[in-house]
Amino acid sequence: MEDVESMVEDEIVLKVEDLYKSYNNVIVLKGISFEVRRGETKIICGPSGSGKSTLLRCINLLTKPDKGMIWLEGEELTTRSININKVRQKIGFVFQEFNLFNHLTALRNVSIGLEVVKKMKREEAYKRAMEVLRKVGLEEHAHKYPAELSGGQKQRVAIARALAMNPSIILYDEPTSALDPQLIGEVLEVMKALAREKVTSIVVTHEMGFAQSVGDEMLFMYDGKIIERGPPEEVIHNPKTEIAKKFFERIQELYGREKR
Amino acid sequence: MSFWEEFIAYLMRGWIMTVELLALSIPLSILLGLALATARVYGNKVVSLIAAGFVALLRGLPLVVTLLIVFFALPRIGLYFDPFWSAVIAFIMCSGAYQSEYVRAAIQSIDVGQSLAAQALGMTKLQEVVHIILPQAFRRALPGISNEIIYLILYSSLAYIIGVQEIFATAKHFNSLQFRPIEIFSTTALIYAFMATVATFFFKKLEERLKIPGLEIV
Amino acid sequence: MVSVVDYVPYILEGVLWTLGLVGGGLLIGFIVGLPSAIAQVYGHRFLKIMVEVYAWFFRSVPLLVLLFLFYWGIFPALGFKLDPLTCSILVLGIRSGAYQSQIFRGAITSVGEGQYIAARTLGMSKMRAIYHIVLPQALRISIPGWANEYAIILKDSAICFTLGVMEILTRTRYVVMATLEPLIPYFIAGALFIVLTYSGTKILNTIYDKLKIPGLIWRM
Repeated sequence: MEDVESMVEDEIVLKVEDLYKSYNNVIVLKGISFEVRRGETKIICGPSGSGKSTLLRCINLLTKPDKGMIWLEGEELTTRSININKVRQKIGFVFQEFNLFNHLTALRNVSIGLEVVKKMKREEAYKRAMEVLRKVGLEEHAHKYPAELSGGQKQRVAIARALAMNPSIILYDEPTSALDPQLIGEVLEVMKALAREKVTSIVVTHEMGFAQSVGDEMLFMYDGKIIERGPPEEVIHNPKTEIAKKFFERIQELYGREKR
Repeated sequence: MSFWEEFIAYLMRGWIMTVELLALSIPLSILLGLALATARVYGNKVVSLIAAGFVALLRGLPLVVTLLIVFFALPRIGLYFDPFWSAVIAFIMCSGAYQSEYVRAAIQSIDVGQSLAAQALGMTKLQEVVHIILPQAFRRALPGISNEIIYLILYSSLAYIIGVQEIFATAKHFNSLQFRPIEIFSTTALIYAFMATVATFFFKKLEERLKIPGLEIV
Repeated sequence: MVSVVDYVPYILEGVLWTLGLVGGGLLIGFIVGLPSAIAQVYGHRFLKIMVEVYAWFFRSVPLLVLLFLFYWGIFPALGFKLDPLTCSILVLGIRSGAYQSQIFRGAITSVGEGQYIAARTLGMSKMRAIYHIVLPQALRISIPGWANEYAIILKDSAICFTLGVMEILTRTRYVVMATLEPLIPYFIAGALFIVLTYSGTKILNTIYDKLKIPGLIWRM
């Protein structure tokens, strides 16, 4: 795994190797390694505080890892000379709290990255934004402001915003955790559709139905480490560790058996 | 010519000068306010400290004193401005400093998620500030900014002190010829009150127009 | 040649005059502003409109114009021949009253109607409810706004030099005329105002912290 040669293989979009991160003397990530292939949907789950969000934020460099390496399409992100903004254009990020730009319409939320970062002409950016909004089923809400949209609609706009940039990979950070239960479905539907279209992604989620229907591999994190990995059904139904077993039982209690 | 005809002619001349003063000072003071606030929040230690010092200084000085320093004292260190520009410079600095306090508070009140989302899209800090933070901060600061601009309209009368022939200067001159202070100064007062009221109304409308639908800002 | 040492005491003496203008102005402003605020919240409609017009006028006209209007026009016409200091204090005060009425009105409103109604249900008269229940709370809330008003009126008092009141700026200008040297005197005047602004605000905020009611947070 050490040789860079294998990275050039175009199948691997993202490779994370031996990642460490600590905040105020608390070690949050303790040597995380995995890789994501093109078209793959990687599921990450685990109890809160296990380091899932920190891992995602390290990948798009919203926080700097202390140690370890990250490659995106063969380019090392963890060197000093990297242009952070260039990297982030290639990594879509969907936040738990949506973080839509409050002062912009849904359409402008999607187009602003194209206009400002990708320097696209405005009409062109609008056209592309409209296409993506259509994809997430929000064409008719394009001219509404975030505060006029429901939580589910907001998150779909946020997905569209990430998607419009044509990223190599999309990172979802608990995209449905801030939503009312009846709004979760519409967001998961959009995510499933994208997964079936082979949009490469990493999804931090507790939605086990979603994980089983479109997840290619599941990583179970605990205390800053990946303690289980494998096909989602395997990990969920036959966990090897007591911790994972307890966790999935608890998830079942909380979320019930309903399949999403 | 009757008293009133002559008086109105005088006032018109001064009023045009007042409008010129304000037409320059208001937009530039808004820009300075945004720049100072941005420098304080996003600048490095030195920049931020300089901006904070500038604001504290200008907020501690009476505008008259700033005005007199710009016009009379700065030439002693080689900076000479004519009365009109001295007034404009003093107004911009003073109002900009006060406005920056509102903008700074507004910037700091904006949810950190807005900044994270901008970063995640690959925006540079400058793009983030210009496209995401300032448009929102400006809206939140607008009630404070408009208050300061209304003060500026009133305090523009102080330009007379350094010899700018604005509306109060012409009124005072006319009074020295006619000595009918009640008519002359109450008319002047009403003109200022009219300008301030129109400005208040204008800013109310602007706030409504810029209001983001559905969003309650507390 | 006149040296700095010769004129500094002369300018410093102006601090007393400045503080006189500020103290007098704030006091008159309080005497006018508080009843105005009460009238605006609890008064009859006619009274409310009167106060509204008064507050609007004095907040929409430059102090400079007010000073000249009252000093040369209104006071003489009413038969008062006032000296510049008295006239300035009165004008500063009446104008400050307009601003203070806004501060107090905001404070009274933020105390909340519940407090007033609770007092009335105890059998208190309107005046007693306002005096014993609403005002003690409202005045505490007003202190930060009042500290701000102090800073404003302090800086505005410099404008009274146009009537020749012997405050800091008037004296500074005399020194400049006598020495033909503007730089140092104006910097001294500026420094004095800065010190007065920040020390005064600091004192008022300290008082506010002392008077805070434990555990209670008000929102203006």
